[in-house]
Amino acid sequence: MFRLTGKIAWVSLARRRTRSVLVVLMIAVSLWGLLFMEGIYDGMVEQMINNAIRSDSGHISLFGGGYRLDPDLSRQVADVAAVDDFLAKDSRVLSYVKRLKQDGLVATAHYSRGAAIFGVDLEVEERHGRLAGYLYQGEFSFGRRARGAIIGFKLADKLQVRIGSKIILSAQDRHSDVSAAPLKVTGILKTNNMALDENAVFIADKKARKLLAMDEGVSQVAVILHDEAQIPGLQQELRRRFPHLEILRWNELYPALMQSRVMMEGFNLVTSLLIFCVAALGVFGVMLVSVLERLREFGIMLAIGTRFSQIRNIIFAESFFLGFIGFGLGALIGWGTLYYFKIYGLDLSMFSDAFDEFGMDAVTYAIIRPSYFVTALVAVTMATFLSVLVPLWVLKKAKPIEAINKN
Amino acid sequence: MLFKKSLIKLALFGLVWAVAPVLPLSAFADGADEIIKKVEHNLNGKTAVMELTMVVKTKRTERTMKMESYSIGNNKSFIKILYPGKDKGITFLTVDNSMWQYVPRIEKTIKIPTSMMLQSWMGSDFSNDDLVNESSISEDYTQKLLEETDKEYRVELLPTEDAAVVWGKIIMAVSKMYYLPTTVQYFDEEDMLIRELAYTDIKPFGDRFYPTRWLMLPKEPQKAANKTIIEISNAVFDAEVDESYFTKRALKRYSK
Amino acid sequence: MLFKLALRNITAHKKRSSVTALLTAIMTALLVFSSAWIDGSHDTMIQSAVEIYPGYLQITGKEFRANPSYDHLIFDAAAIEQELAQNNDIASFGARFESFVLFSADEKAVGGMLTGIEPEKEVHLSRLSSSLKKGEYLSADDTNQVYIGHELAKRLKLGVGDEVAFVGSGADYSFAADNLKVKGIFQTGLFDFDANSAFLAKGYFDRIMVAENYATHFIVLPKRPGQAAELAAAIADNIGPQYQSASWNQTMAGLVKAMKLDSIFSYITLGIIFIVIFFVIMIYTFLAVFARIREIGILRAIGTTPKQILALLLLESSLLALISVVIGGLIGGAFAHYFHHNPIVFAGMEEQFKQYGLAASAMPTAFMPLMILRDMVVMFGLSVLSTLYPILKVNRFRPVEAIHHV
Repeated sequence: MFRLTGKIAWVSLARRRTRSVLVVLMIAVSLWGLLFMEGIYDGMVEQMINNAIRSDSGHISLFGGGYRLDPDLSRQVADVAAVDDFLAKDSRVLSYVKRLKQDGLVATAHYSRGAAIFGVDLEVEERHGRLAGYLYQGEFSFGRRARGAIIGFKLADKLQVRIGSKIILSAQDRHSDVSAAPLKVTGILKTNNMALDENAVFIADKKARKLLAMDEGVSQVAVILHDEAQIPGLQQELRRRFPHLEILRWNELYPALMQSRVMMEGFNLVTSLLIFCVAALGVFGVMLVSVLERLREFGIMLAIGTRFSQIRNIIFAESFFLGFIGFGLGALIGWGTLYYFKIYGLDLSMFSDAFDEFGMDAVTYAIIRPSYFVTALVAVTMATFLSVLVPLWVLKKAKPIEAINKN
Repeated sequence: MLFKKSLIKLALFGLVWAVAPVLPLSAFADGADEIIKKVEHNLNGKTAVMELTMVVKTKRTERTMKMESYSIGNNKSFIKILYPGKDKGITFLTVDNSMWQYVPRIEKTIKIPTSMMLQSWMGSDFSNDDLVNESSISEDYTQKLLEETDKEYRVELLPTEDAAVVWGKIIMAVSKMYYLPTTVQYFDEEDMLIRELAYTDIKPFGDRFYPTRWLMLPKEPQKAANKTIIEISNAVFDAEVDESYFTKRALKRYSK
Repeated sequence: MLFKLALRNITAHKKRSSVTALLTAIMTALLVFSSAWIDGSHDTMIQSAVEIYPGYLQITGKEFRANPSYDHLIFDAAAIEQELAQNNDIASFGARFESFVLFSADEKAVGGMLTGIEPEKEVHLSRLSSSLKKGEYLSADDTNQVYIGHELAKRLKLGVGDEVAFVGSGADYSFAADNLKVKGIFQTGLFDFDANSAFLAKGYFDRIMVAENYATHFIVLPKRPGQAAELAAAIADNIGPQYQSASWNQTMAGLVKAMKLDSIFSYITLGIIFIVIFFVIMIYTFLAVFARIREIGILRAIGTTPKQILALLLLESSLLALISVVIGGLIGGAFAHYFHHNPIVFAGMEEQFKQYGLAASAMPTAFMPLMILRDMVVMFGLSVLSTLYPILKVNRFRPVEAIHHV
């Protein structure tokens, strides 16, 4: 019975081939557009978040008590050993880094600028956040005897320094004395994390400790987890275990990025609604016309004993065929497009040279989430279902049997 | 520090000169080292008390300030502004690498933050850092005699790897007669001349000769019209200087 | 004749025509509203960023913007003032003197910007006075009364009535210092600005900073802010080459770029929506045309040429498109107009806006008839274009085929 219904539906669609193809194309194209937008825009936001997580905050960051309000050298992550011990053993933790941080001044013979000095271990940073991937110029190394500095590209621009230039770094050490050290720029980073690109000077941990007279203690421990879903759980546990530390999630440290994500979700929802309203309108028009022009045909079917429910099923089947073929086609093209941009990235730099000024990557790598397809499928199903309700109602009211006698 | 120290530092002479550093093996090396040694000896003292006048000229203004300075060795100094009346009683204290300032008008002592160290000092072509910076030629630079004329030596000073100085190179001309500097040129890493300090008018003070007129000329295009002149009207070296000058309390106490 | 026929055809198929028309009208309304929204939000962002403090038009010493030192001041503020007073395109203007100083409440010093302003004029030029949070705004004859940013006050632990000292250098590079009393605390919402800025009445400021008749900026509010660039050029011609007159497009180039970037994404989105719309209209036209295929066949059979039929169908679709576009434009325009006067408020989005240096969360739409007209033309073109394929296709049938088409 189902087979027959399906067959009849299929044949009726085939009879109006151009029209059916147009509807299928329309659904496919809207789906493609929707997938493209979702994948690219999400990719863009996730990239920004990812940049912040990799280069700075991790999923969770630990600071000394009161550090964020008054980032003084005296406010360190106390009992680093205990934190170390806990993080090293916890199976949720993918990796973590310890950084020493102090604000200071970086100067050349011509210019001077405020800077955020980070004492880091490059090998650990690379394993942790693949920091070397952000290298813009030079090399990812502090060079012989750790005299090098890796600095943000905007800072480099403001100081007008290149690879090999000398910079003098000065800062208040633990005793509140001003301490200074000469360094050579070995690398320039472009993380598209604006705060880092404008201020950061990464130097060897050992060098930083000497400069700041800090034998021990760290300012920040950044933790990356295997699974984002475990962030709140781990945060709570850390807070319980280390009540005197400030323990914050990335979205508490970068609220603007979190808002971008929320806004993007809202935007995607509105756009998908819009597109599916339009698509539903398209299916509705076609189905309505196709019901109206077949009134006689349905009348004859009813007259020879076909039940109305069977006709209803045929109409539903037609609509679903259109919807699902369109969905399949659109999902396929959409997936292909996103896959392409996932691998090769979408380069928007031809439209604007301003991306890096706002902490965005000019090349966006798309994201493909199964949820895009599930949501779209639900939406297509709804659209095709809703769009035949009116035609069915029209059909019922029109009393098809009477229609036989017309014409 | 102030003045003596800053003087010394500015020219990079301030050292308590201990053992000679490792010498480069150039033919002139011994010569350059000896020269700098003598220069430093001539400019250096255990203590110094000076009276001086500073004239700051820009494209459109000219200002004169008078002040006195007390210093011990290389890392403590105290300066008090005497003139103009509006600024009278402003005092500066530098100890090691830190700098404080007392302003009688607001009755406040302020510690100059690190971020301000490279700002101009009292509107002059010297920076706060020039006054504070403890860099010394012997420790921070390697010396090389470039040229010798009838009257002068020209010594090239290149910062050592560890020296926290912004300059790429300094060229100092030294008078053969007094073993005192005559001009000091500061270059960036690309050998561009950034500023030039000229010492003239050498006069005797007790048992030593000392340059009493210093002229600082910035060479960067945007500051080309500026200059700062310091004239030392009186100086006493190696006398006892009261240690109480070099405390934060002194800032207010000696302001009057 | 053709026109009458077309009109008759449209009215004869009321249902079909009205569905197509409705569809096109909705699309038009959507487009009109979207562009009003994009333009409106950008205008608001620019407006708020510009009006908080920087102003639409700034006059400075020629090299001041590149090298903001006391060597590049405006040294004859009175002359500029005279010049500006004569200009009829200026709504209001005022002078400012910005200087970098150290603020100090206890021994700890905090660097910041101390600016002399003309308090009464500043009311029209910036949102300083309306950003008052505590205490009072300045008045012209105030002496050592300071109006200070909320975050700066917090850093210095100051409340209204507390004392704060500053040291800095006067316009003649002389030493300047004074004790100030907090008269008011403001918060514009721009963190950096609020954490670095404090204001004094310019009269008093000029005395302690030796800045009489000097200024770092003149801020000008044009009568028509949209013409700021033209006005800047006109002023530049009058004040002489030692000064620079720049509109916000120049002084806030970063913001302009940010808006452009945002537009790119908006247009990508709109582009995709248009592709979908294009298909929908095409399908509806297709249905409409094929429903009349017999009629067309008969017309052909009685000797109407394909050209005439093409003209007839195109005229029909154009007429229909015109009607729908007008209706849609009116609806979209009405919405744009309504939300222009009743802005949409985005509570909780402030962080994000602040990133762009904005402190506004109410976004009115732009209501610009010319833009609406532009969108209507675009939609008209789009809908006529989308009818081309079905019309051409139906015209390819041979008359007999068409008559027998089921």
